[in-house]
Amino acid sequence: MEELKGAFSLIGYGLAAIGPGVGIGLIAGNAVQAMARQPEAAGMVRTTMFLGIAFTEALALIGFVLFFLA
Amino acid sequence: MDELILAIEECDLSENAVCAPENVNELFEFRTPIIEILGFPITRLVFLIFLAGLLSVAIIYFGLRKKATRPGKYQLSIESLMTFVRDEIAIGIIGPVGIKYYPYLMSLFIFILIGNMFEITPFINFPITSRMAIPLFLALLTWVIFIVAGFKRNGISYLTGIIWPPGVPVALKPLVGLIEFFSTFFVRPFSLAVRLFANLVAGHVMLSLLLTTAFVSISAFIAGDISAVKGLFGIAWWALALAIFMFEMIVILLQAYIFTLLSAVYIDTSINVEH
Repeated sequence: MEELKGAFSLIGYGLAAIGPGVGIGLIAGNAVQAMARQPEAAGMVRTTMFLGIAFTEALALIGFVLFFLA
Repeated sequence: MDELILAIEECDLSENAVCAPENVNELFEFRTPIIEILGFPITRLVFLIFLAGLLSVAIIYFGLRKKATRPGKYQLSIESLMTFVRDEIAIGIIGPVGIKYYPYLMSLFIFILIGNMFEITPFINFPITSRMAIPLFLALLTWVIFIVAGFKRNGISYLTGIIWPPGVPVALKPLVGLIEFFSTFFVRPFSLAVRLFANLVAGHVMLSLLLTTAFVSISAFIAGDISAVKGLFGIAWWALALAIFMFEMIVILLQAYIFTLLSAVYIDTSINVEH
């Protein structure tokens, strides 16, 4: 069991990265669309995009930390 | 760090693709103190933390010392950085009251930026924000500030406003209250710290492993220990490390920005609570 731990934590991190990956893609894509449609709102959209990315990314980062802790 | 040097010496490229110490933690630990002051061992890490603090004070002090009417390049860049933090983050997110929190946000931004910059500074090459103590302390500082600001401004209705957003049905109040309480007062500071920490850890691990491997394989190739194909691999690792260097520059700026931005957002949500 002990030698499988590393492999399991790698798989766990991979699984944890799927959701945030999709989420960040959606956020960035929609932000680009919003900026293209309304260039004058680009600054506001960019700030909100970073916020959204930061919140979404947290899940992947918790997986990353657990990968090291395991 | 001594273990990394050991790993370089023991690295056998015929068996491993990448030179790495047994345990990744070794990349982040400095055990031998440089000097001891009053019984406190000053390791390289402690020295770097003090250096970052001193540098952030010095940068602002020398940037604003003269206040010339026609500012030079240095003063101009410091001033535009400060204007950015004031207008985009402090006032832009929190609103007119945000000017009160501007000094805190500014020092947070400069300190994290310098701490992150150490990652790609030659001869230092160690981001102090990749030790959990620093981001956790800064996140707890933000945590204390947003809680105190919320209670000072809204009184006890701050707590009820945070845990029961407007329009929650009575039947759901216990559940929503529990979730919101947990996410506001526990998950927020934790995720704020972990975000900065994990990004810098990932960057430092990538850079140090790639550069070590490149160094070992290129020097082994020059010494004639390995074939030309493997030497070429060393150059490829080095090129990849340089590309990651560029990427890390963006990460460094972005993480300092995001940490400050999120601190401002948390302060804003506790000042301007929806009732």
